[in-house]
Amino acid sequence: MDLLAQVLINGVLLGGLYAVMALGLALVWGVLNIVNLAHGAFIMLGAYLAWHLYTYLGIDPFLGLPLTAIVMFCVGYMLQRGLLNLVVRAPMFNTLLITFGLEVVLTYLAQLAFSADFRTINPPYAGNSIALGPLVVPLARLMAFGVAVVLTVGVWLFLLHTKLGRAIRATAQNLVAARLYGVEPRHLYAVTFGIGIGLAGAAGCLYGTVSQINPYIGATLTAKCFAISIIGGLDNPLGVLVGGLVLGVIESLTVLYIGATFGDVASFGVLVLVLIVRPSGLLGKTA
Amino acid sequence: MTALRLGFVIVVAAVLAALPLFGSDVIIQFGINALLLAVLAQSWNIIGGYTGYASFGNSVFYGLGSYGVAIAMVQWNLPFAVGMIFGVALAVVFAFLLGVPVLRLKGHYFAIATLGLAQVMSAIVSNVSVAGQNIGLVLPPLNNDRLFYELSLVLLIVATLTVFWLTRSRFGFGLIAIRENEEGAAVMGVNTTLYKVLAFALSGAITALAGGIHAYWITFLDPDSAFDISLNVKMIIMAVFGGPGTVFGPVLGAFVLSAISEILSSKVTNVAGLFFGVVVVAAVVLMPRGVADVVRQFRKSGWRYFAENLKAHRI
Repeated sequence: MDLLAQVLINGVLLGGLYAVMALGLALVWGVLNIVNLAHGAFIMLGAYLAWHLYTYLGIDPFLGLPLTAIVMFCVGYMLQRGLLNLVVRAPMFNTLLITFGLEVVLTYLAQLAFSADFRTINPPYAGNSIALGPLVVPLARLMAFGVAVVLTVGVWLFLLHTKLGRAIRATAQNLVAARLYGVEPRHLYAVTFGIGIGLAGAAGCLYGTVSQINPYIGATLTAKCFAISIIGGLDNPLGVLVGGLVLGVIESLTVLYIGATFGDVASFGVLVLVLIVRPSGLLGKTA
Repeated sequence: MTALRLGFVIVVAAVLAALPLFGSDVIIQFGINALLLAVLAQSWNIIGGYTGYASFGNSVFYGLGSYGVAIAMVQWNLPFAVGMIFGVALAVVFAFLLGVPVLRLKGHYFAIATLGLAQVMSAIVSNVSVAGQNIGLVLPPLNNDRLFYELSLVLLIVATLTVFWLTRSRFGFGLIAIRENEEGAAVMGVNTTLYKVLAFALSGAITALAGGIHAYWITFLDPDSAFDISLNVKMIIMAVFGGPGTVFGPVLGAFVLSAISEILSSKVTNVAGLFFGVVVVAAVVLMPRGVADVVRQFRKSGWRYFAENLKAHRI
């Protein structure tokens, strides 16, 4: 029983992290109608950025997170402005392909720049944990979970209550009408993509503190983010949070009861099942 | 014009077939790789180019074909040909079992569902004892590169003839109709589900044959190399670079890109992967319909062709 509770705790903590990973993908997908296959690679870049900040400058990954997010926002903004705006109205297959190509480029650049070695961000408190009776809550994972929840709710409030957030939602609903109200789509698309990549960078910081990083983690992470967006739907960041928690718990339970190598199998199995049963997402109205 | 083109194709095929007679071992080995990649691009063309379903998981079929041959030869002591048939059978069964639910999905959803399948297969196979689990299987060696070369060439010709047949058969027209407008095709009496699954299975069967040849040639396979996801990258890029939905585009794309990446990787290691990524980004922006379309249109509009593509879909 304790084991099950422990696994559930781990799953929920992992799920919060998953949610913030998927948040950027879902936002870009919902607004720009681009499924960014390079999303996982941007998470990887964010993780490396945080690793470098910590290893060479001694900046704690949680303090380095805003910096990483801002740098990644700029990268995303320029990428959308300079490249992706050229294909944003092209057929779906073209945008899939171009982000697929970006994923390959980023992975190889990361391999050239950072080598293929595994890295971890190990702040001094990495091994600490909080004891709850017989259960153990790892401190770094708890902090990552907390930041993830704050970020997710923050994005939700931002989309609901700020002018820019309203503009983004309006563009997602109807580009022509949004233009008539003075939204400049080139800039707005770039800002949205920048936010998506900034969130990926933030997620990368958190990921680096709880897991190992290498240049090749991107593709798997992208697929997981996609699974989460599918489960949660694209309408609402809180749906993504639920999707992340569901996937985190399912993976943890699979690792416990079926075997460690089946963790990824479970998440993709869930992805394919959800797609088949309910292509618009378990929670979403439309996708 | 068609007679001229046919003659040209026959001459190219004859030169390729005669290559082992005068080529060095290195050339032959490069040739086997290039031919097998061309087969992959061409079979992807059936489902991705003609049917319009961008499969990011065709590497699954490749792995099934490899394992079909390996399991038949190593575990059951059967001849290579039986192994090939077994591999194709595995691929076709897989295509029917998963094709029916997965091909109901469209666009992004289909692409990512197939990508997900590609990612789980190596994890699943590494738990199957008959497939040698994580350790993999070692096949009996057959040091005859010329034979493998000619086998690959025959397979490429079969794949290309299959695609050629698509361009002038009821089945192929049905697939093109599905690509252009699936609801419309259904209204016109195309059994869309059956056609899509058949196209998926056909694509899978040819891919599995390529995997089988590769496995026997390399004589070793393990889950990660057999279900290598980067194969999807290569076959899609080659097909798109050459021209998806054309008969010779994917073959051309595969030959050109294989040659360039071979030259690059002999100069700088590891740069080949980067090259593929850059090519796909540039191709989507500048020539989304592939080299085949550039050749056709370039005479008319010259360099403006690229500028027009740049402007076509920007916001």
